[in-house]
Amino acid sequence: MSWESWIVSTLSRTLAYGTPLLLATLGEIYAERSGVLNLGVEGMMIVGALTGFAVTSGTGNPWLGILLAAAVAGAFSLVHAFASITLRANQVVSGLALTMLGLGLSGVVGRAYEGRPLLHALDEISIPWLEKIPVLGPGIFQDQSPLVYIAIALAVLLWVILFKTRIGISIRAVGEDPATADSMGINVARVRYLCVMVGGMLAGVAGAYLSVAYRPSWTDGMTAGMGWIVIALTIFAFWNPLLGLFGAYFFAALFHLSYRLQAWLPPELLKAMPYILAIVVLIVVSRGTLQKRMGAPSALTLPYTREEG
Amino acid sequence: MKRRLVATAALVFLLASAAFAAYEPGSDMTVGFIFVGPIGDYGWTYAQNEGRLAVEALPWAETVYVESVAEGQEGPVIDDMIATYGCDVIFTTSFGFMDGTVDAAARHPEVIFGHASGFKRLPNLMTYMGDFYQVYYLNGIVAGALTETDKVAYVGAFPIPEVKRHLNAYAMGVKASNPDAEVHVRWIYSWFDPAAAAEATEALVAEGCDVFAFTEDSPTVVQIAAESELLSFGHYGSQMYQFAPDYVVSGQAIDWGIIYVDFLQKVYAGEYTAENIENVDYWWLMTQGAVYPEAAPGVVLNPLYIDALKAYMIEDPVYGTISAYDLHNLRYAQFADPGVTFDPFQGPIYDRNGNLVVPEGMWLSVDSLITLEWAFENVVGPWPGEPE
Repeated sequence: MSWESWIVSTLSRTLAYGTPLLLATLGEIYAERSGVLNLGVEGMMIVGALTGFAVTSGTGNPWLGILLAAAVAGAFSLVHAFASITLRANQVVSGLALTMLGLGLSGVVGRAYEGRPLLHALDEISIPWLEKIPVLGPGIFQDQSPLVYIAIALAVLLWVILFKTRIGISIRAVGEDPATADSMGINVARVRYLCVMVGGMLAGVAGAYLSVAYRPSWTDGMTAGMGWIVIALTIFAFWNPLLGLFGAYFFAALFHLSYRLQAWLPPELLKAMPYILAIVVLIVVSRGTLQKRMGAPSALTLPYTREEG
Repeated sequence: MKRRLVATAALVFLLASAAFAAYEPGSDMTVGFIFVGPIGDYGWTYAQNEGRLAVEALPWAETVYVESVAEGQEGPVIDDMIATYGCDVIFTTSFGFMDGTVDAAARHPEVIFGHASGFKRLPNLMTYMGDFYQVYYLNGIVAGALTETDKVAYVGAFPIPEVKRHLNAYAMGVKASNPDAEVHVRWIYSWFDPAAAAEATEALVAEGCDVFAFTEDSPTVVQIAAESELLSFGHYGSQMYQFAPDYVVSGQAIDWGIIYVDFLQKVYAGEYTAENIENVDYWWLMTQGAVYPEAAPGVVLNPLYIDALKAYMIEDPVYGTISAYDLHNLRYAQFADPGVTFDPFQGPIYDRNGNLVVPEGMWLSVDSLITLEWAFENVVGPWPGEPE
């Protein structure tokens, strides 16, 4: 087996599997940057996956499916936003509830779509010229879903917004010190609502990617735990969209290689490898002082109540 | 007042004893099913539910079911089913329900229980299984004949005896039609994980494999193989065919219904009761018609590949020059024959470490089959738990 084929397959599978992780991680980064931990990623993803599949199979238009997946999952995330921001409920409980609700609802509503092949899946594209580059061409620019490139562009865009614009400053201020942000005239609740909704929309697109591009079909519970990996990746990425890009791809590369390397290394170890690494990083990162420096929002999980005089 | 209390107590007692009375042979029965997954999955639970529908069609039986019951949660669900519906018979349809079913059977000695794929029995608890190993052998003959790279693939769920048995049978079929071919294996450590199945399949595609069999309850392997225009065998075949009609060659199908109906008819006739089924163990294969190869409903082999199979000639030690198509059908007929004149696990068989695992002239017993750990000689790849 030549080394080129190893590089090509690893690159191409890393992009394919890393894309849903990246999209949902970007969303969770925004939610957490504003101070709202959302453990409902798995639920929002599966709602997006079902919506994407249902709309695509109904209309024959996968792009419409993806857009509506974003809209529906975004609306779905408002359940968490309402509970945790307006009602100031415990974010962990409310997020978990969102996951359970999403998995349960999609299972019931999705019955009708079980076992149906998708005739109009999102087609893969190749980038002209670039695909002819040796090794990198077939690895990166050939037969990939357009969402792969959209996700990369979004990572850059969301990084710019978060760190180089006034909007980004507002988001980070709300997540760091909502009282001060409030006194500066920022509407804390509105920023948090919007960030949670962006998180929901991106998780919805991630789910739709799974059901209309990655493996075009609907199966109950098909996100199979990806949402939890996203929660870990958000911390792994130090709440930074560009690091999220590397984190998602790094995890995806390990995930793919864990199957390719099975012929040489014990599969039990390989299967656990990405998760072990995630835990190690989480342990390192969660040491308080480091966490502060790495960008963990200080007000994460803390509901904000305005001190009325 | 006091009299009323006594009357109520008597009524309650009467109702209770009616609800908990043992099944009266010849009367209508209520049969409960506990499923581990949703009945709309593509695999195991879908097939189980088809079996339930066969029971529902019996004039004297009605069925109730609970789906997506987590393994370990079966106890309260069973109690609830008995209390609510007064089930006379309960089938628990996943290996992981074993201990909970044993406990429930002890708690409800008047109810008849059946547990799929397990090995613990009680006077009121039988076990049953329809096993695929013969079907995988037939699929292997086809795979060996159709591979062009001489690399055939298998994506396995867990490295446990059941999957190893199926994989070995598949590998033996491959060897029967193509002694040069290897069977490459990857494990995903899940019965259901579409992303893992997808990446394991991609890894095998990258290794040069071109025909795929698998154990996983989604059509992922079929879909991913077809994207690269590669062939596959549907797991619970007919369900998965529609995802890649041009590439699904055949597959494994099961009819749980004939097992359920056979057993329940004997309960109805009074032959099996809650006191005498401790030694009842259905291990049903092709002879009983419980399992069979199938690409699409009613189609054993995808017609697109029949010419290629007829043109592929095999030198068989017994039958001389024979086409893969004829060998497939001959073995199928032998498996289905009530006399069973052929079995893949027939000695001499060596594992890939060179150990003689089945001596000349021996057939593996059911006990050996359900505890099998070794890997057949043409299997390539990881094999956790492999004997030295």
